[in-house]
Amino acid sequence: MTRRLLTGNSAAAWGARLAQVDYVPAFPITPQTEIIEDLSLWIDRGEMDARMVTLESEHSMITAAGSAASSGVRVFTATSSQGLLYGMEMVYTVAGWRAPFVMINVSRGLSSPITLESDHNDIMAARDSGFLQIHCATCQEITDSVLMSYRLAEHKEIRLPAIVNQDGFYLSFTREPVSLPDADRAAAFVGEFDPENLQFKSGAPLSQAMAVLGGGPYSYFRYQAHLAVERALSVYDEIADEFADTFGRRYDMIDSYMMDDAEYVLVMMGSFATKARDAVDSLRQAGWKVGLARIRLFRPLPQQKIRQLLSGRRAVAVIDQNISMGMGGILHSEIAMALYGINDAPGLLASYIGGLGGRDIRQQEFFEMISELKQASDTGDRLQPRLLYTKNELTEIRNLQAIAQAEHVEIKQAERKKK
Amino acid sequence: MFRIRFHGRGGQGIKTASRILGTAFFMAGYEVQDAPRYGAERRGAPLFAYVRADKSPVNERGIISQPDLVVVADDTLVGMPAAGVMQGVDQHTVLLINSQEKAETWSQRLNTPATIIILTATETVGEDAEASDDAREAAIDRAELPYIGSSCAAAAAALTNVISRDVFVDALTEELKPLGENIVKKNMDIALAAFAAMSQHVGIVSESSLPSAKEYIKPEWIKLPFEEAKISAPAIHAGVTSVKVRTGLWRTMRPVIDYERCSGCWWICSTYCPDGAINVTDEGLPDIDYDHCKGCLICVAQCPPQAIESIAEHVAKHREMSAASTTGGVHDT
Amino acid sequence: MIKESVVQIHRMKDMPSSHLLGTGTPMCAGCGGLEALHNMYDILGEKTVFVNAAGCLTLLSVYPFTPFRGGWLYTAMASAPAGAQGVRDALDIRLQKKKLSEEDNMEVVVVTGDGSAYGMGLSATSGAMDRNLDFIYLCYDNEGYGNTGQQYSAATPHAAVTSTSRGSHGYPGFKKDLFSIWAAHDPVYVATIIGAEPLDLAKKIEKLKTMRGPRMLISLAPCPTGWDYDPKLSVEIGRLAVQTGVWPLKEYINGEVIHTKIPKKDKSGKRIPVEEYLKLQGRFKHLFHPQRDDKGIAEIQASIDAYWDKVTA
Repeated sequence: MTRRLLTGNSAAAWGARLAQVDYVPAFPITPQTEIIEDLSLWIDRGEMDARMVTLESEHSMITAAGSAASSGVRVFTATSSQGLLYGMEMVYTVAGWRAPFVMINVSRGLSSPITLESDHNDIMAARDSGFLQIHCATCQEITDSVLMSYRLAEHKEIRLPAIVNQDGFYLSFTREPVSLPDADRAAAFVGEFDPENLQFKSGAPLSQAMAVLGGGPYSYFRYQAHLAVERALSVYDEIADEFADTFGRRYDMIDSYMMDDAEYVLVMMGSFATKARDAVDSLRQAGWKVGLARIRLFRPLPQQKIRQLLSGRRAVAVIDQNISMGMGGILHSEIAMALYGINDAPGLLASYIGGLGGRDIRQQEFFEMISELKQASDTGDRLQPRLLYTKNELTEIRNLQAIAQAEHVEIKQAERKKK
Repeated sequence: MFRIRFHGRGGQGIKTASRILGTAFFMAGYEVQDAPRYGAERRGAPLFAYVRADKSPVNERGIISQPDLVVVADDTLVGMPAAGVMQGVDQHTVLLINSQEKAETWSQRLNTPATIIILTATETVGEDAEASDDAREAAIDRAELPYIGSSCAAAAAALTNVISRDVFVDALTEELKPLGENIVKKNMDIALAAFAAMSQHVGIVSESSLPSAKEYIKPEWIKLPFEEAKISAPAIHAGVTSVKVRTGLWRTMRPVIDYERCSGCWWICSTYCPDGAINVTDEGLPDIDYDHCKGCLICVAQCPPQAIESIAEHVAKHREMSAASTTGGVHDT
Repeated sequence: MIKESVVQIHRMKDMPSSHLLGTGTPMCAGCGGLEALHNMYDILGEKTVFVNAAGCLTLLSVYPFTPFRGGWLYTAMASAPAGAQGVRDALDIRLQKKKLSEEDNMEVVVVTGDGSAYGMGLSATSGAMDRNLDFIYLCYDNEGYGNTGQQYSAATPHAAVTSTSRGSHGYPGFKKDLFSIWAAHDPVYVATIIGAEPLDLAKKIEKLKTMRGPRMLISLAPCPTGWDYDPKLSVEIGRLAVQTGVWPLKEYINGEVIHTKIPKKDKSGKRIPVEEYLKLQGRFKHLFHPQRDDKGIAEIQASIDAYWDKVTA
């Protein structure tokens, strides 16, 4: 096992390499490109026995990923935001094909306005599709999650594609220490891809993804896919146990930090959750009983574990780095759904939305959230969902607006016409 | 935790600097997080990179707003607000500037409680304040000095006093190996000189800890006021606002027209300038807009009578500042 | 319908002396795409709506800064021509309903990189031409996906090193012939241009200004960042692209392909060898270092010769 500094993108590429994938349909998009550049270099040099093809768009790329997986090879691909959405028709389709493969999403905010920086609206858009979904908080977790995801995706009771999400820039371009598993042990852990009856072969007639008539048959296929996603709840722990035994790192569905006696809990996903860890440490030092629950497995949603972890708490703040226009924080709504009607539900389930387009969430903001939770719990007041935004940020946008809304067109000086 | 921020221009090896330092810390037994921070990296344009190092895993993320050490590879960035060099710099910060000017000069100029240390890493040819005009003319384009990054990394490593010379050598070799032996050697010699130059200051950089939750400045949260789409839609209702962005700040080489040699064929240089930064005067002469000229030097290459010369920007600026102080006039930089 | 005597720019001296496109945009110093665009904008003027697909030039407009005096709409990577369809149709409807005067009418101009034009945007472009959309399309072709770090695209020439073709022989594929694909739709006008030949460019813009229907342009856009060379060489490299025959300057008009510049030959009947163009660029370095790849260079030369042999036959 070698430990080295790797960016999130390199960690993802290593995951694919260690999983001995056969096929990488690709298309470049910021902030993912380094993944395909690394893979392409390794393949060119003969260090990796795989085929890479650049398709002309993500819609095509995801189609090729699914169709190759449906033809019996182990597939890896990667995309982000606009690319994920451009291929969204196929995201649903390939999941419906029950074609297992792993896709990295490097999360990035959605247009419009167009941004290159991170948030979770892109990955959230895939939550209903049938893809499994795992969210990483560190570069180490990315490599490990790719390996675990092949086991999940290819599991006979699941057989669905899986997305491993990493935050753009905060992980994708940031180096952190990563222990790369030894190649043989990683290959042994992931195992050979057994396509079962899912491969085109002469003498074995196979019509996949055909049309269907009637709500009954359609419902059968769709319900089965849903049940298969849910299956991952029982399968996940086995795989996580085996991973922990083999490689010494444990990844629970929900990563709990300081939760034993926590009165106040922060719930988050992704790389910003490590910032919340620091906040928990500082708050504990200041005498607060705070904990952090990081949702790592998002699809299937680990509802039972959510109930176990959050019941009995005084107050919970769910921090969403996404926004559903006209509704609010998506994770918050799903947690609320999971907690509805249970005995001993948390006294307060507050919603904070921040981090959009890479907007930082500072330590002081975490501290203030806990302070607000306490105040509201003491007074019994409801806390309105908060869109994290400061006075300085408003001043900043006003300055920009002054330029953008200028009454007069500023013509640059020295504009003279020659006769 | 050590929180270190590098500032430089595209082409100066700043990302490499952060990686060399990051790897050095890692080899010295630290948990590390390093990253460049740029929009789209453009040659000459200001950018920064950062390194965090701690004995425990690093949980902090994003740009470093309270640096322990700020390393400035190109001193023309210090006075440029857009470059953000002075962000979060306070009495705890050590400010390491690659410059030919003295620490006292910078101290006065910046009026900061930070400790200022000088590193002299750029080519001395043309940098020397006492040198002749000719010597200065030979000054090199700063965007073509990628080893500045290595020197800055070396100086930073020395200042922390937790990275030995040997470890630094290993780290630099590791990071630059893919570029070939020659590049490694050239960078190594220059970097180790910088490492040694910091010997009197070792240990001056100290770590800082997590912010306290007992006493903190509350974020000034507001409820974002609703605004109608005609204001809140992402649109710009004005023309040519781009002129407010002074891309002239990217310039590391300045084209200067010698009007004695200029034959007035403005239709050549003015047409070929991709940015449209060469205007034409009423007299029919080309006039370079230095607020926006990026210093690509296409005009220099294309001018038929070869009437445009290129001068290192930092030299040109220095001349302007000297001229301003002697004539008492104010020059637009 | 083409108006007679529309060309007012006959010599370089006739080029506009004031530039309409604002300075201060974040394009790389020496950008060949910006070179072509700013010359085009000077002639087309501010009564234009630029409709853009994802690429380097998307960054022309970053809030609150824009270099444009007229319109700009960023759409998505695949659909700029469809965006243009919507804008053009809306303008026409408003003209018809007298909600817009002819005075205030705008020309719709799609601007995309080669990534979109040669790849995922081809469907929307085909559709727009099929519907005989009245618009202009400028593809700035820097022969790769530039904005994401110069990965290879369908426009990448054979043997070019890109970030996804870093093998010892560079890109194994060949450059797609977009000109012919567009011309096969029989639009009213297709042309290749380049910023390094501003007179040829200006004449073509002036000409197409008076036409109606799809007017399609591909500009080779020398790219210092992606092709790995010193920015000051952008014009020289562009000129060599034309003189060596790598980038033919031509038009498709009235069902015919006409070359507007035939690369000069010396006394022995030879064009400037393509290696004069290749050797200036880091992306072709492997053809010369550590040793000369005679075979590789000869192959490239042969394909250029074959093209021009057909043209001059």
